Parts: sequence; C-alpha cells; structure tokens
Amino acid sequence: MKEAYLGIDIGSISTKGVIIDEKNNILASSYIWTEGNPLGSAKKLLALLEEQFDKEKYKIVATGTTGSARNLVGAMVGATMVKNEITAHAVGTTTLHPNVRTILEIGGQDSKIILVENGVAIDYAMNTLCAAGTGSFLSSQAKRLGVEVEEFGEIALSSKHPTQIAARCTVFAESDLVHKIQMGHSKEDIIAGLCKAVANNYLNNVGKGKKIVPPVVFQGGVSKNIGVKKAFEDALGCEVIVDENGHLMGAFGAAILAGRSSKRREFDFSVEDMEFKTRDVNCGRCPNNCEIICVYRDGVLIDSWGNRCDKGAIKVGQKAAN
Amino acid sequence: MSKINLSSAKSGAVTIGLPRAMLYYRYEILWKNYFSALGVKYIVSEPTNKEMIKTGSAYAIDEACLSTKIFMGHVNALIGKCDYILIPRVSNFGFRRNMCTKFEALYDMTCNIFRKSGQKFISYNVDELAGLTEEKAFISLGEELAFSRKEAYSAYKYAKKAEADHNRNRVKTQETLYKKGGLKILIASHSYVERDAYIGKPVVTYLKKMGVVPIYADVVDRKDALKASVKASPTLKWEFSREIVGSIQINKDRIDGIILLSAFPCGPDSMVNEMVIRRFAGIPILNILLDDQDGTAGLETRLESFIDILRFKGGDL
Repeated sequence: MKEAYLGIDIGSISTKGVIIDEKNNILASSYIWTEGNPLGSAKKLLALLEEQFDKEKYKIVATGTTGSARNLVGAMVGATMVKNEITAHAVGTTTLHPNVRTILEIGGQDSKIILVENGVAIDYAMNTLCAAGTGSFLSSQAKRLGVEVEEFGEIALSSKHPTQIAARCTVFAESDLVHKIQMGHSKEDIIAGLCKAVANNYLNNVGKGKKIVPPVVFQGGVSKNIGVKKAFEDALGCEVIVDENGHLMGAFGAAILAGRSSKRREFDFSVEDMEFKTRDVNCGRCPNNCEIICVYRDGVLIDSWGNRCDKGAIKVGQKAAN
Repeated sequence: MSKINLSSAKSGAVTIGLPRAMLYYRYEILWKNYFSALGVKYIVSEPTNKEMIKTGSAYAIDEACLSTKIFMGHVNALIGKCDYILIPRVSNFGFRRNMCTKFEALYDMTCNIFRKSGQKFISYNVDELAGLTEEKAFISLGEELAFSRKEAYSAYKYAKKAEADHNRNRVKTQETLYKKGGLKILIASHSYVERDAYIGKPVVTYLKKMGVVPIYADVVDRKDALKASVKASPTLKWEFSREIVGSIQINKDRIDGIILLSAFPCGPDSMVNEMVIRRFAGIPILNILLDDQDGTAGLETRLESFIDILRFKGGDL
C-alpha cells in the first residue's frame, strides 16, 4: 500500500481537488463550481475524486485544505494542514516549474504576485480588500454583455482596436463600460478592452514597484482567459506561461504541504455520507457581539471560529441545540 | 469656551473625560500627569468595541477615516459621564511638522456633531507656526480650569518630564526587541491604529501567535527619526509620517519585513505608504488597509502568507 496525499482548494468561485503520490504525480483531480456552497461542493468534489482513485493501491495519509473556505472544509475533512492559498500556490508552482521567477495570479476575488528566486518565494503582494479587476469582476461584466465568461478570451482575440476602459474600480469600470456600449463600441472591442484593463490594472496595482522577471507563470481562474494572457504578454514583452493544470495549483500545493508535514491522519471518503451543518451564533457576552460560526458533523460540534476572545470559546463535542 | 467655575475645578469637583482614541495614544501620560498634578479628576473611555464603532460611524460624516469614526464612538461613550471632554486642536509643531488636518478640525467637528447633547468640551491649541507652543497651550488650558499661570506651568513641566521618561523607557524596551532572535516585523502605523483594541491589536496579537516579533515603528527617538526621515523624503510634512518613515530609515537593516497598517481612508497614509513601498524597495512590505469590515479572513490570509514568504526566504518552511 503506497501513501497518497489529498489537497483541496475551496475558492469563492471554484472548488479544486487533487490526490498525489509521494513523487508529486497527480493520481486524481477535479474542478467544479463552488456555487456559494463550500460544504456541498467539497462533498461533490470528493465523490468525483473517489471515482478516479485506486483504493487498493494507495491510502490517503494526509489532507491539506486551502482557499477562502479552508477552515470550514478543513474541519469537515479533518485536514492535517490548513494553509492560505498564496503559500499553497507558491509551493505548487515552484514544484512544477522550478525555474519560475514570477507568478501572476488572478482568482475569483483576489489577485497576487509572487516573486521567486532559486525556487524560493522572496516577495509577494496582494490586492487590498477590493475585488476590482478579479474574476468576479469579469464574470459580472460578462453577464452584462450577455456572453459566457468562458468565451471571453476567444472573443477578445478577434478585436483589432480594444476599447479603453478604466478598471481601477469596479463601480467606475461598470459605468465606463455602459457608456462605451451606448457610444457604439463593438462587443469584441469592449471585451478586449476589459481584458487589457484587467492586465494593466493588475500591473499598476498589485505589480507596482515589483521587478517582473521571466519565466512568468500566470495562474488562477482568470488565466484560463486567453485574452488576459495576451494582454499580459503585450504589456510585459515576454512569454507568459499558463500551465494546463494551473487551476489546480492551490490544491496541488496544499497536498504537497500536507505530505511534507509530519502530521498524519488517514482520510476516509465516508465523510461524503455524513451530514455537515453550520450555525451562526451571536456571542453577546460583550459589546463586540462576535459572530461565531459553529460546524456540526451529524449534529455534534466539531469546530468553531469567529470569536475575538475566550469569552466566545465554544466547547467541541456539544450537541446542536435543535 | 466658557471659564470654569474656580471653586469647582480646584476642589476636585470637575471631571475631565479622555476619549481612548486618536491622540490619547500619544499624550496619555502627558494628560494624566498634568491633570493629576492639578488635582483634577479624569475618566477614560473603555477600549474600542464594535458597538462604539457602530455608533461612531453613525455620528461621523461618512468620508471621515475609520479612526475619526472610532473617536466619535469614544466621545459618545463619555457623554454625561464627565463635565468636560478634552479634545485638543493640534495643527503643527513648526515648518514641515504638520499634523493631519483632522487634528485641526477634531474639536470643532466634535462640538458640532454633539451640539444637542448638552455635553461641554474643552480644548487646547498647539500651532507653533502661529507662535502657540505646547507649553503655552497647557498654561491656557490650566487658566481655563481656573488655576494660576504658575500652577499650570509647573503641572505641565511635571507632566512633560513624566512623558519624556515614559517615552525613553518605551524606546529602550523596544531596543531589546530588535536584538531578539526570530522573525522581526516592523509595524509602520499610527499609534491610534496599531494600539486600538478592535482594529490594530488583533493584528499584533495574531503576529505574536504566529511566533513573530512585532515592533512598533513609531516607538523611536522622535528627534532622530525626524532627522532620518529627510533621507527618504526631504519634503514630507506630516509629523507622524515623518517619525514612522524616519524609524524605517533607521531600522531597516535590523528587520525582516514591514507591515504598513492604515485606517481607511487615511489621507497622509495613502501617499506616504506609496512612497515607502518605492523608497524601501528590497524589503518585503505588506500594505494593509483596515476598514470596519467584520470578516478577518482576508486579513489573516494576508498576514499568514506574508509570514510564510518571509520564512520561506529564511528557508524554514
């Protein structure tokens, strides 16, 4: 029986999972939409991974979670490693592309840049708490234009004169966009303009003051948009690599980190059949009135977070009140 | 401002309210010692909590920075619990030693916002470009409280000495942190942000939990810092920003990274932070903007990954 590691990346928009062996080969992988239900999509993801996984040959001995719902899903699957997505991505990408110097990443709600030297991340920056120019921005603009966001890239490539669009702020970009539509700019020019604006906005914001050295890897959901990839290549004047597994990099990194850590706990696919519920509790023990999230497995509390102090600590193992 | 009844202030019947916000974090020792020396009672509002931010935000104009909103929450908490609430007007300490405009406006703004409450406020005015030194300001304040010039002067001198001792000790204690092992992160922030119980302290607590040594940039010999700041920017004119930038200039080789911690939307920081990121290229810098958003997930992701990257650099992960 060989050892395997599971990595799950639960982002705001999509949920990704991989199972790797000790040599970092991908044994199973899956990519689905989160659809505002991280626990449900994690279950669905596990079912899809289980189908591809050879239980006779391997057993999963460590599990890592990352992404914005890492705590929630980490509690659900009994993760041995819960890590933020920036670190997970850096680990994943540097493992697959040991020569990489710059990692550009645009996800559903955030964007970041990681600078690497000799396979070690040396600097990074992340957008402030504002989702301008990220995947969710592109999704909402696609809806407005009546196109699927997946088709965005191809449409953008057909444009000869990308429209100038200010994308520094989502609210301004939207009014600018409406204005340009009403002025009579064609759809493909506007879409190409949006892709260009996303790339430029990223470079002026997150990439500000950073020395971008090739090889450059572009990842995150938006890297699937060939229009944005091309806009980056035009702006940087160098090739931008988009790995075919780029969307899995967070999950891949989480699996590697789980494998590297000494913590071991065998993962059991039976969590798919258990019932997980969350409950919002307002602490009320002081004027901060923290919102505490409680996670229950089959009616028993397995984890909680959100309290600012010990007054709001809730004992694990309690039965749900109702 | 009306003159305070002589007998009541002197007999200790007057209570001054000190909002635990904004300049409190800089002048706490000066204020408390000054009033104690005069025998005037004072009370301080409780550490910031969510309820205060909520009421403060409702009272303040919406364009004001988060710290101003928090300040209004503290003022509101003191209303009816003291005779006078102290809100100084501090404009500048000389050429290119200006305070953010809000410190010039805070007294008038607050009086106006709470004009219907019946609460009385008291102020002192520091504007060195107009010849009004801090010493003069505290003498006037004492006279306002019906003390003699001499009494006010000696109370100020006493308080000023206590403040100098306190600051010197803080700098000395902090000096030991620079010499400590482990990951050292300089927190470049205004004292009323980094030390606020609700917005800044959780960041520092989180860093400590991660095994990092957080060091406050603004705890520094102020004269040295002002001098050193000129190297980074000869035209920077905000006193607090100059102290922070000067401190970075002095200590940049003794730290592993910098966290720029600002309250949204801080005017001076929006410019100074950009400058710091460019002038101190080569030092890992994390720029964090605090607003009254409740979710801490985005904040923790940023802090955790920043620390991971610094540790990666050291080869420890």
